[in-house]
Amino acid sequence: MNPRTRHALEFVLDNLVWFMLLFVLVVFSIFIPNYFQLGIFANIIEASSVLGVMSIGLALVIIAGHMDLSVESVAALSAMAVGILFCSSGIGLGVQLHPEWLMVPVSLLLALAVGGLIGAFNGYLVVRVKMSAFIITLASYIWVRGLVLVISGGRSAQDLAPAIRWFGIQRLAGLPLTAWIAVACFVVFSLIMAKTPFGRHLVMIGGNETATFRAGIRVNRNLIIAFVLAGAIAGLAGWLLAIRTSGATANLGVGLLFNAFAAVVIGGVSLKGGVGTLPGVYAGVLLLSAINTAINLMGLPANFTQVIHGLLVLAAVLLDAFKQTIRQRLA
Amino acid sequence: MSEPLLVLDNVTKNYGAIEALKGISFSIGRGEVVALLGDNGAGKSTLVKIISGGLEPTSGRMLFEGKEFLARSPAEAKAAGIETVYQDLSLCTNVDVVANFFMGREITRKVLGIPVLDERAMEAVVEKALATAGTRIPSLRTNVEHLSGGQRQAIELNRFVHWGGKLVLLDEPFAALGVEQTRRGLDMIRQVASQGIGVVIITHIMQQAFQVADRIVVIRQGVVAGDVARNKTSPDAVINMITGETLAGAGPAG
Repeated sequence: MNPRTRHALEFVLDNLVWFMLLFVLVVFSIFIPNYFQLGIFANIIEASSVLGVMSIGLALVIIAGHMDLSVESVAALSAMAVGILFCSSGIGLGVQLHPEWLMVPVSLLLALAVGGLIGAFNGYLVVRVKMSAFIITLASYIWVRGLVLVISGGRSAQDLAPAIRWFGIQRLAGLPLTAWIAVACFVVFSLIMAKTPFGRHLVMIGGNETATFRAGIRVNRNLIIAFVLAGAIAGLAGWLLAIRTSGATANLGVGLLFNAFAAVVIGGVSLKGGVGTLPGVYAGVLLLSAINTAINLMGLPANFTQVIHGLLVLAAVLLDAFKQTIRQRLA
Repeated sequence: MSEPLLVLDNVTKNYGAIEALKGISFSIGRGEVVALLGDNGAGKSTLVKIISGGLEPTSGRMLFEGKEFLARSPAEAKAAGIETVYQDLSLCTNVDVVANFFMGREITRKVLGIPVLDERAMEAVVEKALATAGTRIPSLRTNVEHLSGGQRQAIELNRFVHWGGKLVLLDEPFAALGVEQTRRGLDMIRQVASQGIGVVIITHIMQQAFQVADRIVVIRQGVVAGDVARNKTSPDAVINMITGETLAGAGPAG
């Protein structure tokens, strides 16, 4: 095989999920009436912003060889914290700050801090106390959701302060600012993972933790940072969720975890750690969103979504195994 | 010889009630190659891990360049100038050759104050290092998982030759190498030592020890059972020290 074809083949393998996304979009555009519209495409991006942001944090931890099941509950807790403080009806306290724009950084910092703290807690137990990340974050998934129920009393907060709401209403090039925030997150974290020593170290830790420790990389520190980041990013997802729903309910975001998992796996991240890139994850998120939109447009019952997502995850895992065999032949 | 590079003074290591090392004392000079021999379970790997920061000794002390030394982590040992090549390879197979070569020591340049990996500079260094050592790897950008066992070990050996430091510990470095690559590996060790770097090599193959070492240290049941210059002993005498047929410190024989 000459180097040209080899390079081309490797490029296709590396970006397979993007080609899948393109394929799916083309097929839907041809066969589903009204699918091919700018508005629909904008909607796909817009609808995937919360899921997208959450998937970034989950992907970071999985690439580093661990697991964070708590992201969904953490997002809900952050959303609830913002909702209770800055909503004016329901259980909202309607806190007012002057000038009004001050509520934006304060609410954002609050959401990030709530998420970051839970992430630090998870990271500490996993890294220092050396407990299984699966169990620790499963526990957090449960108790953090419980905390949401406790502080809300099962009720909801409505009417988020207009200054914060503004991010969900104001549009730039057809997309609300919240969607741009998600896109910006993907760009920033993709660069961090691909171009900085920190990102490189996370990938290597996911590949062979012992080797990185022996090479003098501060494994524990890097892993705790990864958990804190996953928590803080989940907090950001919660902030976006609160804006989107203009408040917070006790069961806000239920089920997002599994969609995030699906997106991460479809995006080419291996649950074994050390494999996967964030642009791939974004393609996975967009793919899920594109399929949801298609289901809506075709008027299928929404219950089909879950069946299709499940099959898609299966397909992604099979595809991953297939990719491995091709790569082995290439080398 | 001038002041030794590393001195071990009665170093012990207990795992619960089990005494893995019962008091090891020996020294390594600059530019000296010491072969560490001993039967399975004699405590060689434990000793290497203590020097390289993977384990902390239970008691005893070490002097490195005349100063009290204790590495609490591999990072500390590395900072002091101690490089280690482990028995089970320490490569991340999910990243490419360049990333492995520079693991933990990446070349970066600042972009807006943020350290960014300088891939081109790193690739150039690796290319040069591998070419000097005569190792051929098809593409430096291939992930290590697609390389053969010999190529992987070659990467690891080239890595320690390149980084050098002051003391190099090699724990059975040639296990996966062919005849020609082993010969080249032994040459590399001599070349490294000639730069004034101390080398400790653990091996099971007597012939290798006699080919490369200046001094042979035998460990048996957690103590030093022999510490002799290569040219004052013979393979048979060393085997006796390993199996315990000769009294400890029996010195010249044959």
